[in-house]
Amino acid sequence: MTKKITVALAGNPNVGKTSVFNAITGSRQHVGNWPGVTVERKMGKRTYKNIEMEIVDLPGTYSLTTYSLDEIIARDFLIEEKPDIVVQVIDATNLERNLYLSTQLMELGVKLVIALNMKDLALAKGNRIDEEKIQEFLDVPVIPTIASKGTGIESLLDAIIEEASKARTNDDPLSYDESTEGRVHELEMILKSDQYFAHYPSRWFSIKLLEGDENIIKKAQESEKYTPIREILRKTDADNFETKIADQRYSTIQAMLRQVCDINTCHLSGSDMVDRVVTNKLLGIPIFLALMWAAFELTFTFATPFMNMIDIFFGWLAGATAEVISTEWLASLVGDGIIAGIGSVLIFLPNILLLFFMLSLMEDSGYMARAAFIMDRVMGRIGLHGKSFIPLIMGFGCNVPAIMATRTIEDPRDRLITILVAPFISCGARLPVYVLLAGAFFGRDAGIVIFGLYALGILVAVLSAKLMRTTVLRGEDAPFIMELPDYRLPTLKGSFIHMWERAKIYLKKAGGIILIGVVGVWLLASIPAPGSGGIFGSEEIYGSTDSLVGALGHLIEPLVAPLGFDWRIAVALVFGIVAKEIVVGSMGVLYGAGEDEQNLSNILAAGAMTPLTGLGLMVFTLLYVPCFACIGVIKRETGSWKWTLFQLVYGTGLAWGFAFTLYQVGSRTGFLT
Amino acid sequence: MEQTNQNKELLFALLAGVLYSVFGILHIAEGLSINTGIAEVLFISGDILGGACLVIIGTVFLYGSREMTKGVNAGVSFVYVGILLSLVFMAVYILTMGGNLLDSFIVPDDYEGWSAMENFRPGIYLGILPFMGILYWKNRFSLNEILVVREAA
Repeated sequence: MTKKITVALAGNPNVGKTSVFNAITGSRQHVGNWPGVTVERKMGKRTYKNIEMEIVDLPGTYSLTTYSLDEIIARDFLIEEKPDIVVQVIDATNLERNLYLSTQLMELGVKLVIALNMKDLALAKGNRIDEEKIQEFLDVPVIPTIASKGTGIESLLDAIIEEASKARTNDDPLSYDESTEGRVHELEMILKSDQYFAHYPSRWFSIKLLEGDENIIKKAQESEKYTPIREILRKTDADNFETKIADQRYSTIQAMLRQVCDINTCHLSGSDMVDRVVTNKLLGIPIFLALMWAAFELTFTFATPFMNMIDIFFGWLAGATAEVISTEWLASLVGDGIIAGIGSVLIFLPNILLLFFMLSLMEDSGYMARAAFIMDRVMGRIGLHGKSFIPLIMGFGCNVPAIMATRTIEDPRDRLITILVAPFISCGARLPVYVLLAGAFFGRDAGIVIFGLYALGILVAVLSAKLMRTTVLRGEDAPFIMELPDYRLPTLKGSFIHMWERAKIYLKKAGGIILIGVVGVWLLASIPAPGSGGIFGSEEIYGSTDSLVGALGHLIEPLVAPLGFDWRIAVALVFGIVAKEIVVGSMGVLYGAGEDEQNLSNILAAGAMTPLTGLGLMVFTLLYVPCFACIGVIKRETGSWKWTLFQLVYGTGLAWGFAFTLYQVGSRTGFLT
Repeated sequence: MEQTNQNKELLFALLAGVLYSVFGILHIAEGLSINTGIAEVLFISGDILGGACLVIIGTVFLYGSREMTKGVNAGVSFVYVGILLSLVFMAVYILTMGGNLLDSFIVPDDYEGWSAMENFRPGIYLGILPFMGILYWKNRFSLNEILVVREAA
């Protein structure tokens, strides 16, 4: 008679689990969903040596906590369904990380067989692994396989059958330090005295309780013996305990690896070498900040000659146009409106291209993923997830793709917080405002001022996240789980392509919404206000208090007067809601400087604005309502007008508060006046 | 042979670490209006953040030398990354100088009395040492796998 057994296939993601599954089951597969969720469940059958095996492919996981849906599914299946055998597929090129899961499976008390997959790749990298020694250490069968070629599958099936026939399991594979063992033992005694816990491996259950595993604590709460359990848990700091346990597991694995890799040696790749330093507890964040500073310094200084070239070209073009067109209003429309408007956007293209190029270099080299990892500790403290870091960094280019990139964050609360704070990260479109004002008022220190504004944006984003996390969006922190790719030398071509893809968005905006915006500004600046008696398009009316824009500005001026802003700044900020790039172009029109940035800069520095007002305007521009495109994407990604409105009101309130404090304190103390 | 190499790396890390840290501190001191008396001759500006970056590079080298003296063989990683960082900053300073030089041809009026040496910074000449280091250890510091003795856990 044929005997039936259930075999679960477990393992980290991308270790060749599916290849092993396919090699064992061939075409006898069935795909469905895990109960209650839309995660794919693959099952297959294989009859071997008169034993019918039902193979269940578990989702790929790095551990058996309950931080992700995949982990919950895998763990629940192992505990509740109790398969006869668990085959863990291990990537031989990454033993350390894979064996971490092995220790957890063994603690769970399952009958384990290890398929040491991709051994050929490990060998090709010069890493010889002694699988017999691993078997000796772990006391479980270790079978080398190359699943993609079908090698080792029969030996694996033999090992499964042999292991299934054995009675015992080893659920005590690791010993921890004395105090840990003491606590675990105390809990085990209580668990063993209650029949309710008989279904679970007591050692594993005790460790999970001490690690603060919510799922397990909930189960324990249903027991009559929960009171003494709670007393022990009260004496334990779950976070520290979890870290301590993980450290001890890794120490044991490392001690073993020293003996199962080449004699007393291990290969350290260039990637490992860099990671050792850039993810270092003390040096990781300073190194990251230094690199970001270098990127901004270069963005400001190296782009200057190219900006001047564009400036000279548009100055010439505007002059040439004025000479050719004889009709005054048409010459003004083309020269002061279209050419000046487009010029005021394109002049900042070198800054944008350079910043995007450097961000592309960081991304393509693999460094950005490390940056997310090292920032996870900091992000965790402020209520954000490490994965929030990449969307926020993308926000330096444009907030729109940054908000869309939050889709990689699994936790809905973390995602919502990231969406709401992403607009505080200073995007490329705000850079022109900083370059103009910092250049006009802070000369050679402009780079430092701009760096400070970027830092303020980050600070506001993180403090807002903390505030939201502790008030309106309270919840548990999710751990950081992310695959770090190997470092690659970025290719110039690849980085240029990435840079261009992002710059295209900026250029498209320049030719579309911004062109419409600047023509709109020109129209409002050229149309005489009712009762002023001026002539449309005349020099006397253009951008003056007698124009329509002047009337509009005076209407809203009282709202921004406490910030030291006049009606022209108020108008520029209103137009900035269409697209932030329009702020500078509008100021050019309203201050009568036309397309010449240098001219506008000179007018402002000559007394049209004080350095204090300039600084306040930069801070306001950084924090107030994001652009139309950004508002649209916030609505789409949150699916809620309530949260969209919250972001707009919160951001503008903060901008007003910051600029007000800066101006009032500054003007009373004489700072930058 | 391995020991000789390690001694060379240790000496290199110590020297580069001390140089970068000292020059970084001098930058910061000048930025805080503390007259060091040697700023002009060493082209040290009062750039506080730039100085902080030099101190960070110096710290990476010194951290590596500390690990190596403790017998942690993979401490060489810090030398490797320290070299990479110093070369990145050398490139940043050179590009800044080149940008200003180019700008001085485009808008000469803004650069009256300016010379390229005004942008010459310690980050450039200090970078010569790491540059020599990367040439000397180019095979050891490749992105390919290297063999190091695993240190005690």
